[in-house]
Amino acid sequence: MGDAMRGAHFRLSPAQKQRMLVAQERCRDAAGSVHSSAFVNVGDTIPVDYENGYLRGHGTQVVDGQLLATVCGVVERVNKLVSVRPLRARYNPETGDVVVGRVTEVAPKRWKVDVNSRQDAQLMLSAVNLPGGIQRRRTATDELNMRDLFTENDLISAEVQTLHQDGSLHLHTRSLKYGKLESGQLVKVAPYLIKRLKQHFHQLKQYGVQMILGCNGYVWISALPQSTPDIATDQKRANTESLEAAAGTADSQNVEISRELRERICRLANVVRVLGACGFLIHPDSIVDTYEASLSWGTELKHMFSGEFFVKVVEREAEQRSKKG
Amino acid sequence: MDFISPEGLRLDGRRPFELRQLHAEIGVLDNADGSATFEMGNTKVIAVVYGPREVQNRSQQQLDHALVRCEYSMATFSTGDRRRRGKGDRRGTELSLVIRQTMEAAILTNLLPRSQIDIFVQVLQADGGTRACCINAAALALADAGIPMRDLVASCSAGYLNSTPLLDLNYLEDSGGGPDLTVALFSKLDKVTLLQMDAKVPLDVFEKVMNLASEGAKAVTQFLREILMENTKKLAFAKEPLKV
Amino acid sequence: MLQSKAYVKKTRHGRVLKVVREHYLRDDIACGTITCTACDNSKACLSASPAPIIVFDTNVVLRQIDLLENSAISNVVVLSVVLEEVKNKDLSVYNRLRTICSNPARNFFVFSNENHRDTYIKGLAGESPNDRNDRAIRVASKWYHEHLGPASKVVLVTNDAENKRKALEEGIDAQTVEDFVRKLGQAELLDLLVGAGTEDAQTTADADDNRPSKRKVIYPEHKLMSEITSGLHKGIYHQGKLRVNRYNGFEATVSTESLGQEILIHGRIDMNRGFDGDVVAVELLPQEQWQENSLEKIVEDVDEDESEEPVGLVPGSAEQLPELIETGPAARPRGRVIGIIKRNWRQYCGSLEPVENTSSAGGKVNALFVSADRRLPKIRIQTRQLENLSNKRIIVSVDSWERTMRYPSGHYVSTIGDIGDRATESEVILFENDINNKPFSQQVLDCLPPLPWSLPAEELQNPNRRDLRQVRVFSVDPPGCKDIDDALHCTLRPDGNYEVGVHIADVTNFVLPDTALDHEACQRGTSVYLVERRIDMLPKPLTEDICSLRADVERLSFSVIWEMTPEAEIISAQFTKSIIKSCAAMSYAEAQARMDDSRLSDPLTVDLRNMNRLAKIMRQRRIDRGALTLASPEVKFEIDSETHDPLDVGMYQIREANQMIEEFMLAANVSVAEKIVEHFSQFSMLRRHPVPSPKMLEPLLLTAAAVGVDLDISTSKALADSLDRAVGGDPYFNKLIRILATRCMTQALYFSSGDCTPPEFHHYGLASPIYTHFTSPIRRYADVIVHRLLAAALGLSKVPGALREKTMLTSVADNLNLRHRNAQMASRASVELHTLIFFKNRPTDTEARIVRIKSNGLIVFVPKFGIEGPVYLTGKKDKKDESDWIVNEQSQTTESRDGKYRFKVLDKLVVHIEVVEPQPNRPKLQLTLVDQANECMSIK
Repeated sequence: MGDAMRGAHFRLSPAQKQRMLVAQERCRDAAGSVHSSAFVNVGDTIPVDYENGYLRGHGTQVVDGQLLATVCGVVERVNKLVSVRPLRARYNPETGDVVVGRVTEVAPKRWKVDVNSRQDAQLMLSAVNLPGGIQRRRTATDELNMRDLFTENDLISAEVQTLHQDGSLHLHTRSLKYGKLESGQLVKVAPYLIKRLKQHFHQLKQYGVQMILGCNGYVWISALPQSTPDIATDQKRANTESLEAAAGTADSQNVEISRELRERICRLANVVRVLGACGFLIHPDSIVDTYEASLSWGTELKHMFSGEFFVKVVEREAEQRSKKG
Repeated sequence: MDFISPEGLRLDGRRPFELRQLHAEIGVLDNADGSATFEMGNTKVIAVVYGPREVQNRSQQQLDHALVRCEYSMATFSTGDRRRRGKGDRRGTELSLVIRQTMEAAILTNLLPRSQIDIFVQVLQADGGTRACCINAAALALADAGIPMRDLVASCSAGYLNSTPLLDLNYLEDSGGGPDLTVALFSKLDKVTLLQMDAKVPLDVFEKVMNLASEGAKAVTQFLREILMENTKKLAFAKEPLKV
Repeated sequence: MLQSKAYVKKTRHGRVLKVVREHYLRDDIACGTITCTACDNSKACLSASPAPIIVFDTNVVLRQIDLLENSAISNVVVLSVVLEEVKNKDLSVYNRLRTICSNPARNFFVFSNENHRDTYIKGLAGESPNDRNDRAIRVASKWYHEHLGPASKVVLVTNDAENKRKALEEGIDAQTVEDFVRKLGQAELLDLLVGAGTEDAQTTADADDNRPSKRKVIYPEHKLMSEITSGLHKGIYHQGKLRVNRYNGFEATVSTESLGQEILIHGRIDMNRGFDGDVVAVELLPQEQWQENSLEKIVEDVDEDESEEPVGLVPGSAEQLPELIETGPAARPRGRVIGIIKRNWRQYCGSLEPVENTSSAGGKVNALFVSADRRLPKIRIQTRQLENLSNKRIIVSVDSWERTMRYPSGHYVSTIGDIGDRATESEVILFENDINNKPFSQQVLDCLPPLPWSLPAEELQNPNRRDLRQVRVFSVDPPGCKDIDDALHCTLRPDGNYEVGVHIADVTNFVLPDTALDHEACQRGTSVYLVERRIDMLPKPLTEDICSLRADVERLSFSVIWEMTPEAEIISAQFTKSIIKSCAAMSYAEAQARMDDSRLSDPLTVDLRNMNRLAKIMRQRRIDRGALTLASPEVKFEIDSETHDPLDVGMYQIREANQMIEEFMLAANVSVAEKIVEHFSQFSMLRRHPVPSPKMLEPLLLTAAAVGVDLDISTSKALADSLDRAVGGDPYFNKLIRILATRCMTQALYFSSGDCTPPEFHHYGLASPIYTHFTSPIRRYADVIVHRLLAAALGLSKVPGALREKTMLTSVADNLNLRHRNAQMASRASVELHTLIFFKNRPTDTEARIVRIKSNGLIVFVPKFGIEGPVYLTGKKDKKDESDWIVNEQSQTTESRDGKYRFKVLDKLVVHIEVVEPQPNRPKLQLTLVDQANECMSIK
């Protein structure tokens, strides 16, 4: 393919290629004028006002009194802080981020979770919601029964608690909205396509679908939970000693998901995948937009990975951008 | 054999100081964090980077810097006659070590403690200058993966035949019996990270060939920068309309 | 602009490989025309008008290379596609073409059309490579025409009818070679054409009938290459180099590794169109045919040259002996040539045989060319200039030898000069021995320092150079010698020992490695000494002035300085670069006179006498070790200064002074050899003399036994002692025996020390375990190499890159051996030439000694002139048993039937020498016996 798209496995006919190229060009042009100096390569000098002083941020190094970039990316200046943000790097965690991860290991008093970052994140036993009450001293029994909470290869949603100097990452699931995830689809996209917003949990009631956009690029799409969990219910449940009431989400193991719901989940997941492959920003609005468009075009689920759909998506985006600009 | 005709043309029509045609592509493998292919003439190499990620072998974990691993291999179809090379063959091991050392010098490993960076380099088509091509491809792949580096590493090979220094030897010229020198540089910092040669030459010849290879590496750096800049811009623009 | 060339080839092991190569097209290739403004014309040499630009196609180049070498052809564009094709088909033609192109005076421009964007074409589907190349040539010609504008003229010369037709269609001016040459209007160029039409061919008496129907097949077919290779594998055929007997063109030997011994080839049919030097495939004949008597075979070919032994110089070694086929009891295997693997055709020198009917003047006539070298067959050529060429020495080149033709076909290349003219004959000698006597090119002369040269000041400051100008250095050389390369000194030290020094001209100071001068000298290898002139290895300013250690001037030198006891024991040897100032340049006669004159006692004479004394001791030590003193039958000519004709011939006189100088030169060579091998055991240039095999010494032993001399050949010392004891009736007897011993020796050779084991370094003749050449760098390139090695061993300079590779040094040594041999043969040929000229109008009677008894006569040696040859007692046609003479080979006697005469080997005789011409233009010396009563005994 001329313009490589990651995750895209299809062949374009010459006509489609042409349309694709045109559309991509329009996308770019519509971006408005950008300082070319905003982009740097490894080893490029970053223009900085040395007189006033500056703070050196990530992605930079000082050599011979000059500020050089260490990654390819965009220069970001916030007051005096100068940093270079690479585009395609692994997830760079920050406190308070919502992430979706997969448990890789069960270790004494902690779980190791893969969150698409430099290192596996750690979820301490003391940082999860226990089934039998919110605040309780963790006993030895708890330790031995860690596997009943989360075992290897479980998907969980959590929040970043702390970030240590050596890069190690600690998570917590201290809210009811966090916890084990079941009966849904996980889509992996590049972390930089997901902006930090106020909300990461999106409930699309019109489709009966719930979306979690993890900041680490893992997106979780599943059916809406039956009842909205709140603290009252939680406490009620907390009095029961039932271990089967798993922490966090509703007990959806036995809930049946209709075919229609599954299709909707699938369609949404595909939309996320396509947007990720095109390199567009993944935002609930854009997802819903594209979802609606796919329905209006009558694209079948299996055709969502065809060249035609991709070309249409890019053209649509180009339209919208040029309208905006 | 005449490697350079009296008219000043080499066997493939280049002049002594000319590089072969360069071509590079970034982001060819979806699963990997960073990937790139690099072509110098008919030599094609693909490099794939995984990392930084959790160290798989806990005993090798380093507390203060990242672990860099590199594996070099040649596809069985890369040379004229199909030949299966075992994992432990000496040339492969040597080149793996060489590339690892070169890239390790470039990566700022102390910014990524307790993690592991895997670089896999495979030669898809070999026509002379595979070493240089591998390093260039690996540098691109690392940049694509967003791993912080001191500077871009670029590399080029040069030789000396018929009393003339020649830049970027192809397979025929390589087998011509003259010296074969590969140099990898940090272009901005003007430092040499790799210098390899297997021949015996007098000092003045060595100087000429080394200078020529360095010039070649600088030209390759130029090309690498262009490719990377284009790629960055493409990704950035695609993601969202940017404003100043 | 990158194209890719892909083709499939088969490797040696039979695997099929697909090869893909890059092919870059450029737009910076110049057209080479001086007037063109579009291209970069720094190297331009063509002019677009009025003379046309000529483009030759491949086949024309391959076949008509002699025409292209002629200076009448100029303003030519050589396309790279043509160059490549020629290179693949015939490397020697390619090299010649390249030489023409690199000569700026010829205006040949190489245009890289394959890499030019506008003239590169891809092969079409279904187009053969040849067609594609032809099309490329046409495209390039057309491009030239368009590029240079309508006023320019471009001519494509091709003999291929298809190509010509297409070219004319495309608007290119195309002509055949014949038309083209005719238009040039120079008749002699037409002679150079090969395979020109036979419309006007005339038959002459000794040429075969040309009409195809009447042509009969004379020679058997050559087998196909595939058959030959399989035959070689199976062992039924053998491969080797064909060596034709120098004195009989129809006998040859092939030495093969597979058989281990030499295979005899007899007669023209069995030789099957093989030339001397070709690599041939031979099939053995059935064993019954191996015993046939060689003499009978020769008698059949009556009209061929006689296979008699010629009168010539005494052979200096076994390798210069005429190879006579022995009719001994042991039958050597015989075979016949069934295929030629590699042809060794080159250009040959000689003259035309006179033709009977010259009825058509100016038309094309067949003539037979006879080479000066008797190993070659006659060559048929066609020429229009028969009358012009009939008395000239010409150069001819061979084209082909069909089965139906008795002789190979060739064509005329150029003329050297008149037959019999001394200058021409000398040229012929040089040509036949591959000696380069062209003047030094400008590039070579540019390497010389500017004249007049004097000692530069920085050499005096050079710490590596010792200042020996205050030492009493002198030189002793042949009279009239201008290139003095060695000087000596001998001083008495306070402690009673002597300091003896040998100073050799520091040639490597001026001849730097890898310069044009160095390459030229390496290729020449040695100076060649003809009777009347010298072909120098280095330019004259160096040999006679800058390097030559003349008297009373300061010169740079490379010195070997020994500390010796009065008994000539070497205590230490020092090597250093130095500056000397010779105080006297004497001739041998002068030096001898000084030493002998007891009245003189000046310091110089005292030094000479001391040296002489030391030299005698050293010589005696050498003889005790087993050095051989062999007699040299060299003769010296006295040349008339005006006509340059020889006035008198005499034997070379060896005096004590000669031996003294020789002794110290030998010692210097040995010391240097030891030093360089110590440092560079793998690549030193040394000289060895292999021990002669008992088989080679057989003739000597036979002769010695016949005269009652007992020779012990077990070691060189034993041989030397028995030679000393061989004293006979007169003082010359001993010298004769020594001369006979000399001709049984092997040749000494240069070799690289990495190629042989230390015991093989031995020099038989000098009885030295190691030896090299160091003392004459002005006239021998081997010495230049040794100088460089010695300088590197002393740390004064680094070893030149060319010497570091073993194979390089071996090939240089082989070249030097070849050049040395050729120079020797040329010298001998020159001496023979002058002997012939001397005797031309001076028939003489003189004393001779018998050296061998043969069935039909005697071989005699004439000491005064140093020549040797047969005196026939029976005629050629006489049968053996009817002859008047009884021969006893064992006791080496012959008796006349009537008992009147009896000859034994080493007897004295008087012979009559005169020059006869049994065949026109082939003068030779003839020796006849003179009766005691001064009557010529003529034989018929």
